[in-house]
Amino acid sequence: MKKLVIPGEMVSQERKRLGGNVFVSDGKIYSKVVGITELDDEKASVVPLEGKYMPQQEDVVIGVVSRVVFAGYGVNINSFTESFIPKSAMREELKMGDLISAKISYVNELREADLGFPRRMFGGEVVEVIPVRTPRLIGKNGSMLELLKQGTGCDIVIGKNGRVWARNGNSELLRKVVTFVNDNSYKSNLTNSVEAFFKAEGINVSVPKKDESVGKAQQVEESEVIEESEVLPGSEETN
Amino acid sequence: MSGKQRDDAPDYKKEKKRVDGRKMDELRPLSIKVGVLPNADGSAYLEWGQNKVYAAVFGPREALPKHTQNPYKAVVKVNYRMTTFSVPERKQPRPNRRDYEISKVLGEALDKAVFTEQFPNTEIGVFVEVVDSNAGSRVACLTAASCALADAGIPMRDLVAATGVGKAFNELIVDLNKEEEDASDAVDIPIGILPNSEEIVLFQMDGLLKKEELDKILPMAMKACKQVYEVQKKALQEKYKLTELSEANVEAGIAGKENAKNVSQVKEAKQEKESKKETKEVKAKKVKK
Repeated sequence: MKKLVIPGEMVSQERKRLGGNVFVSDGKIYSKVVGITELDDEKASVVPLEGKYMPQQEDVVIGVVSRVVFAGYGVNINSFTESFIPKSAMREELKMGDLISAKISYVNELREADLGFPRRMFGGEVVEVIPVRTPRLIGKNGSMLELLKQGTGCDIVIGKNGRVWARNGNSELLRKVVTFVNDNSYKSNLTNSVEAFFKAEGINVSVPKKDESVGKAQQVEESEVIEESEVLPGSEETN
Repeated sequence: MSGKQRDDAPDYKKEKKRVDGRKMDELRPLSIKVGVLPNADGSAYLEWGQNKVYAAVFGPREALPKHTQNPYKAVVKVNYRMTTFSVPERKQPRPNRRDYEISKVLGEALDKAVFTEQFPNTEIGVFVEVVDSNAGSRVACLTAASCALADAGIPMRDLVAATGVGKAFNELIVDLNKEEEDASDAVDIPIGILPNSEEIVLFQMDGLLKKEELDKILPMAMKACKQVYEVQKKALQEKYKLTELSEANVEAGIAGKENAKNVSQVKEAKQEKESKKETKEVKAKKVKK
């Protein structure tokens, strides 16, 4: 059963493996944040509803160049500290305000993130959402992302740091849908309602059928996102 | 008149009441709303009797200047301020001794509730602004601030619930108002607790109290704080209503966005006009030159 909990509210009285955003006190499991409980036989965790971006290894993020020095670039990835990309890692020069996509290669104990595979993103626009809600934009096995792509015709890259980059297609509509998902991220059956959302706009889309392997959704998604960002530079340079 | 009492006359000796008609252990009406300031990471607005308080949370963010950073934990930095119009006599806007002190004690109280060790080298900025006050504004601020922290998604052990307790007119009472605080024998104890573990995170005392009286008043404070906690809990839950999305909801959502879009379009049109005007002016100037 899913339940809305606030910090310090009990999630489970039983002994279980600890998932995210919970802590143990006196042998009982409590929530650390405002969120929705996710309980099964062996594990207890809470899916947060609010929160800043915590950099994690292997995350795909969308950064903004915030500082240019001789050796490289300071990049704002919506985290506590700015990340650094040396000039040697980039083929082309960057300016302030340029968008890049990158994968986080390492996070140290002070939560400073090292970036790998930096790529400049040409054109497009960015929609900002609450970082902890990005999984809802991707959906199980990337179903929501697939829906967004179909409905709006955009090329979409979802950064785990709460930035959604989109190019081509109906970006006006995408902005609306993404805000809709962000506002309703704590409700169930979101994919269906987004489908209804598109229908109301006069666009017919079909939900891709869910595979059996639901748990691996996010890993699959990340690789998908990377593939897409690899396509980016070449295709735009011709424009 | 003889000593005979009318039937409908209230028996003051049987049911003692306070200057504002409350019972001894009754709180002033309390209401909290969460997520009121769009630019803050988390925020709350609280009304407690005549007290009106806004709390905003920013962060965790990089603590600057750098010497304020702690490599082992986050610094909870509270900024307690009173607006000039929050008290009968105009308050000087410059923070005074009292403002600094309250900021410090509130920061220390919230620090106990937050998992600060998860965010090294960062600062959690909490800004509480008293818009209207009538005794007990620091506990009101602490209550609002902890709601704002939870709204910002900062990991916490528990919320912090706080009330004032104390003594006035020779009675032990909960949640003193200004009149009671100004009584000649007044004792004012702002107290903040973590409701689940009943740990005390804020305890100050203004006045003198017997040990027996303190022993009596602590359970009253715990009970009152738990009432406050229930209000906080409800306020946080209110923001999210766990419902299935119906098609009507979806359409309502679209309609809402549509309006917003219209507004933004109007704005854009205005801006365009303005920019056109400017360019015309610039051109005119150039021509003159």
